[in-house]
Amino acid sequence: MTGGSTFGDFISAAHWHLDPANRAHGPAGGRGGAEEAARSLLRVVTVMRRYVDDMATAFDDVPSRTRRTLNPYARTWIQARQALASSAGYLRHHRPASRWPVSPAASPLARRLDGVTVSLATGRDLLQTHFAPGPRGTRQHRSEWAAVVSSPQATRALLAELASLGRQIARQGTDLALAGPSGAGGGQDERRRLNAACQWLWALDASVRAAHQREPVSDRDRELLRAIPVNARPPRRLPDRGDPVAALCQGVVDSAERVHHAAWLSATTESWFPGLTITSLRGVAEAATVTSHHCEVLLRSLAAWTSSPGPGGIRADLLAAADAAGRARQGWLRTAHALDGFITDMQQYSSPAALESRDLALWTGRLAYANPEWTLASGPGHAARPPEDLAQGPDDVRAVIAAVHHASHTLTRLAQADREQIRAAAGMGRILVPTRFLPDTFDIPRPFGHAPKDRVDPLLAVYQDTGQLSVETTAAVATVAEATRAPSQLLTTTSTAVDTNHDASYGDQTGGQDKMHGRDEVEVGRESRDMPGPVERTLLDLGVTSADVLQRGAEIDRASAQIIIDAAAGQTRDSRRTAPMLSRSAGTAELVNHVLASGDPRAVALLRRPVSVQREPPEPEP
Amino acid sequence: MLRTPVTIREATVTRISAVRDQVEQADGLPAVLDAACEAFEEMLSVIRGHEDPSDGWFTAFVMSGTCAANGRDAVLFAPSLPPNRLHPPPAGTMMPGQGSAETIADAIASLSGLLATGLARAAGSAADPRDREACQRAAGYARDMQGLLTGSGP
Repeated sequence: MTGGSTFGDFISAAHWHLDPANRAHGPAGGRGGAEEAARSLLRVVTVMRRYVDDMATAFDDVPSRTRRTLNPYARTWIQARQALASSAGYLRHHRPASRWPVSPAASPLARRLDGVTVSLATGRDLLQTHFAPGPRGTRQHRSEWAAVVSSPQATRALLAELASLGRQIARQGTDLALAGPSGAGGGQDERRRLNAACQWLWALDASVRAAHQREPVSDRDRELLRAIPVNARPPRRLPDRGDPVAALCQGVVDSAERVHHAAWLSATTESWFPGLTITSLRGVAEAATVTSHHCEVLLRSLAAWTSSPGPGGIRADLLAAADAAGRARQGWLRTAHALDGFITDMQQYSSPAALESRDLALWTGRLAYANPEWTLASGPGHAARPPEDLAQGPDDVRAVIAAVHHASHTLTRLAQADREQIRAAAGMGRILVPTRFLPDTFDIPRPFGHAPKDRVDPLLAVYQDTGQLSVETTAAVATVAEATRAPSQLLTTTSTAVDTNHDASYGDQTGGQDKMHGRDEVEVGRESRDMPGPVERTLLDLGVTSADVLQRGAEIDRASAQIIIDAAAGQTRDSRRTAPMLSRSAGTAELVNHVLASGDPRAVALLRRPVSVQREPPEPEP
Repeated sequence: MLRTPVTIREATVTRISAVRDQVEQADGLPAVLDAACEAFEEMLSVIRGHEDPSDGWFTAFVMSGTCAANGRDAVLFAPSLPPNRLHPPPAGTMMPGQGSAETIADAIASLSGLLATGLARAAGSAADPRDREACQRAAGYARDMQGLLTGSGP
């Protein structure tokens, strides 16, 4: 979100290694030793198994009431585990002496696979930065992104990515395995095992595709997965005099991210946490009031800049968002007023959330006002930054909207976190009221008393209202972000994923339905077309170039695949001959591979798990 | 915000003046603490009635209000603070929005400066470290208020 490494970098790298157009590892389809490729494939499969094992914990993290949303993929997860275990079972006799290759592999395919292993292993490390080991093998969250990693959205997107990689590997691996003694090193048995291992990767792909049919992986799911950053906060920074608008916008985003994390941390700590002081609560309410005010100023300035008030323009949306920010400001102000009547058993400490919130108010103010030296202590009478100075083009508009979006989103989290903290602290008797200002008819010999429920409940209600107003502001700004394609659009998806995993205290932030994109269908369709079956391949080997003839060949291949699938699905388990038996010759193996590559989950009936799968321990991680 | 009649504006300033008199006349640590507590509470009440987002004082008032509440609470923790008020609350009911922002800000900034000085002096002479700490912290909040309302804050 803020320019650091994301999971998408590593998934993209893994795809890059497998891209046939990529010549960095040698020519696509270049031959090499089947044994070396099998060793490298085992490394890839081992990392993939780690990912799938992590998902088991992800399913545990999901509240039971939301598990129903995982059903299609929970089944797929079981099938994926079996498929990867089976694939590894055919390769296990190649267990490497060292976790990583001591020297670069000789064959292009092995080098590609080693590259995929490195990318996937590093990507998994990135995801793991959001977790810490918990008791009895559980995982503890170390950031709010952990809820995203465990979310159904990210889980199904990850399965889709693994399946996609598996599909590409299976194709290249079987090409090598079936190249024959002249093309591939290694004995016939070696190549047969490599082929069988790859067939199980097709099985993985088929199970994910079947789940995709029932519950498609949306573009937003994929974006969400790819956007997961490494768990590292941007460093604390204060604005410099003369920072340009772009730098100020980035400063707001970074600051908002720091506040967000501090709020998440405070919400996950115990109620005796010393950071819960009235000073901290007031500091947050004060900073949030001022930040909301600045958001309103900024949105009105942007509305003044835009010259298209018509239905296609964003001026009306900007003004609606500005109105919402104004209401949120009044909500935070009411919260500050409500806190005036309370104290806590500890006072002096200012929590990280309170200190960071003050920074956010400073950053948004420096962006909102014309004075390049504006601070929270600058006193009254500062003019807003002129619209033409705030935004000189659409990129500036997007940057400012993203900054406001991040700030609003963070204020929502703050309201939620402080409300939960007060509720917990009141239960512990940590919320007090001063008795000094009670009417004389109350003769209480102590300066403070525990806040009674009928005083705490209205305070919690004020926080609830303020949280709702902040949600509404965020939703209104999200509408503008969507319309302008601001870089903060993903915040909406992130919130949805987090809310799926946690009780949503406030309203819906989705701001619209996910737009489904048929990427998988498009890719799968292309994959099937790109991978010629035995007849089409023979025609190509004969040098046939006629599109009509090739098309007829492809139709025969599809028809034969369909006959085989139907026949396999109709047979009993005992009477069925499985792929390893069917794949004894290169000709039949190619036919079976083509059937498996069709993506029809029924084709998996042709496969048999290796005997060793149940008995052997998992491979060490590369 | 509607301009308030001169008579009402004067009434608000008069209430602040009454509290100021108590601060000036306070003698001895309990009396200083009592006057300070009343002053912070009164300033808080006045500030909260003048937080108008449409004028340029909004941020300064919001932040001053937090300082006033924190300053009051700091004094409340002083062991030498008398358990009951030494003086009745200022007469008259404060209406939201009474007085112009500038007038109110001037009066509160001036009272904050006086409080900061008085509390710092009291901290220097307090025997109980808890009184000393309470006075020092409250004096700090009073100084912050003065700075925020004069544009010379931290």
